[in-house]
Amino acid sequence: MGCHSGVRVSAIKRNNVRVRGSGAKAMVFAHGFGCDQNMWRHVAPAFETDFKTVLFDSVGAGGSDLSAYDPTKYATLDGYADDVIEILRELDLKGVVFVGHSVSAMVGVLASLKAPELFSKLVLVGPSPRYINDDNYVGGFGAAQIEELLEFLDDNPMAWSQAMAPAIIGNPDRPELGEELTASFCRMDPAIAKEFARATFMSDNRADLPRVATPTLILQCSDDIIAPLEVGHYVHSRIAGSDLRILAATGHCPNLSAPAEVTAAIRAYA
Amino acid sequence: MPEPGADPSVISEDLEDLYENAPFGYLSTAADSTIFKVNATFAGWMGFPPETLIGRRLRDLLTVPGRILYETNVAPALRLQGRFEEVALDLVTDTGDKLPVLVNATERRNADGEMVSARVAVVRAKDRRSYERDLQGREAAARETLRSEQETSQLREQFIAVLGHDLRNPLASIVGAARLLRREVQSEKGLKVLSLMETSVDRMAGLIDDVMDFARGRLGSGIDLHRAVCPLEPVLRQVVDELETSQPSRTITCEIAVPEPISIDPGRIGQLVSNLLANALTHGDPRSPVRLGAVTRDQRLEVWVANAGAPIPPKAMERLFQPFFRGEVRASQNGLGLGLHIASEIAKAHGGVLSAISDETETRFTLTIPLGQDGGA
Repeated sequence: MGCHSGVRVSAIKRNNVRVRGSGAKAMVFAHGFGCDQNMWRHVAPAFETDFKTVLFDSVGAGGSDLSAYDPTKYATLDGYADDVIEILRELDLKGVVFVGHSVSAMVGVLASLKAPELFSKLVLVGPSPRYINDDNYVGGFGAAQIEELLEFLDDNPMAWSQAMAPAIIGNPDRPELGEELTASFCRMDPAIAKEFARATFMSDNRADLPRVATPTLILQCSDDIIAPLEVGHYVHSRIAGSDLRILAATGHCPNLSAPAEVTAAIRAYA
Repeated sequence: MPEPGADPSVISEDLEDLYENAPFGYLSTAADSTIFKVNATFAGWMGFPPETLIGRRLRDLLTVPGRILYETNVAPALRLQGRFEEVALDLVTDTGDKLPVLVNATERRNADGEMVSARVAVVRAKDRRSYERDLQGREAAARETLRSEQETSQLREQFIAVLGHDLRNPLASIVGAARLLRREVQSEKGLKVLSLMETSVDRMAGLIDDVMDFARGRLGSGIDLHRAVCPLEPVLRQVVDELETSQPSRTITCEIAVPEPISIDPGRIGQLVSNLLANALTHGDPRSPVRLGAVTRDQRLEVWVANAGAPIPPKAMERLFQPFFRGEVRASQNGLGLGLHIASEIAKAHGGVLSAISDETETRFTLTIPLGQDGGA
């Protein structure tokens, strides 16, 4: 009875963790900035016969516990990496295949450095250790442009929340959308999204790459402005023994635009 | 579809012209998100000849923040939901100017659910977006004002608490001085003045106690309780005796049926009941007795005070337990209007509630406190 201070909310509840499938090994799917675990809905089910699949929402996104958001903890990607480790420990999983999209690719890298025993393979989809150009490094954006993004998010909370939570209207002539219409996708608390954008686009994890000891596959999209080709090559060159696969898929979200290609690439590696 | 030679007043729509010159910008994008068709309205807004837009991507026409949000948020939403609506973005025209727009889009999919193309409708939203930005600024200003008001009000309450506390010392000196004077031989007038002084000191001490209780409640520490397991009846009897002594013309009838000792703060419960009885004596019909009752049932203690007389107006009922509420202020009334507020806070501190009902028959205040594991601990 009563409240005991210091009781930790379970990571499984906090991150809205969904475990499906069966298999001796587990495959964890981590979504990137701007969406939630629904992002993997066309990829993850393909692995349910061979793997236990684990999907989750980062704090602030989807069905996560918004009250668990701690601005200090989540000011850098470390806080998100700690959550991944907590989820795996609570599920008592070791040696998982971690599939991380966008910023969560780096979150997976950080988690694998903190707790190597939990990971057997990393699949990094559109990874970028730093989004801002720096001397000879091409990240894709100037510092002023990222500053402009953060200002845009400050000035346009309504624009932001509209993009975050688009109205979903019944669409009877599209039965294939039936299930999807019951939930809203890519919901994100606007205030948290702003901070998540800052943590993402101000991050610099270049120095962490050479320390990665877990076998790593990099899936690089063609024509991705968020994580350009040069960045994929950079990540490949800094993680010893890593594999780089250039996808035909364009844009930043091949898990949505080309799920079959992504599924095949993961299957061939895992 | 109008037949040739039909009523000439029926206007037919030129769909090609509707597409090209609609009050919306239209573009169609292929599965790889390149633009393959665009209408004249959109090309005109952008300042580009339409053919130069073909083969480009919508994201390439946006500001950098817009591009990032489009790729990370909007494009995934379109793929997952088959549509997005009312997304606010900034386009960059050929002169480099920002064009604030709202964008809707729907996907066309094949039988396998794969995207064939997307139709995008764009509407200019310069005024609307600047209005929203303005609104946002005002909301921030209002929040700031509220925060500063709350800060001021908390300072004020702290000031009241400190003032109340500091007033007790000089008051204690006056009490001491009066006591010293009483030990000496006094004229009849002197004794009368001393009695008046003592009554005033009592009243002032009561006012200070109220103010202190109020300030403590507002400052978050709440009413402090010193609970003890004790019988209730002596606590109530003492309060009744005090009031009957001060108002000998009035009767208070008691029905106290709480034989077992219960866990309460006896001082605070006495204060609460005294307050309710004093109110009932002041406002009730002097021809009828004031009734006090106490009973335990269903693990709850109920103490009620009832009087006959004019009912409390419904408007006043709503604000009865708010601080500084005094109903219709009459010349005879003195006090700060804190009594019922503090009584209600005492009830809350016990985990209970103070409620009131009032009609032509009677006005009744009921204190309900849970007993047992929760309430009695």
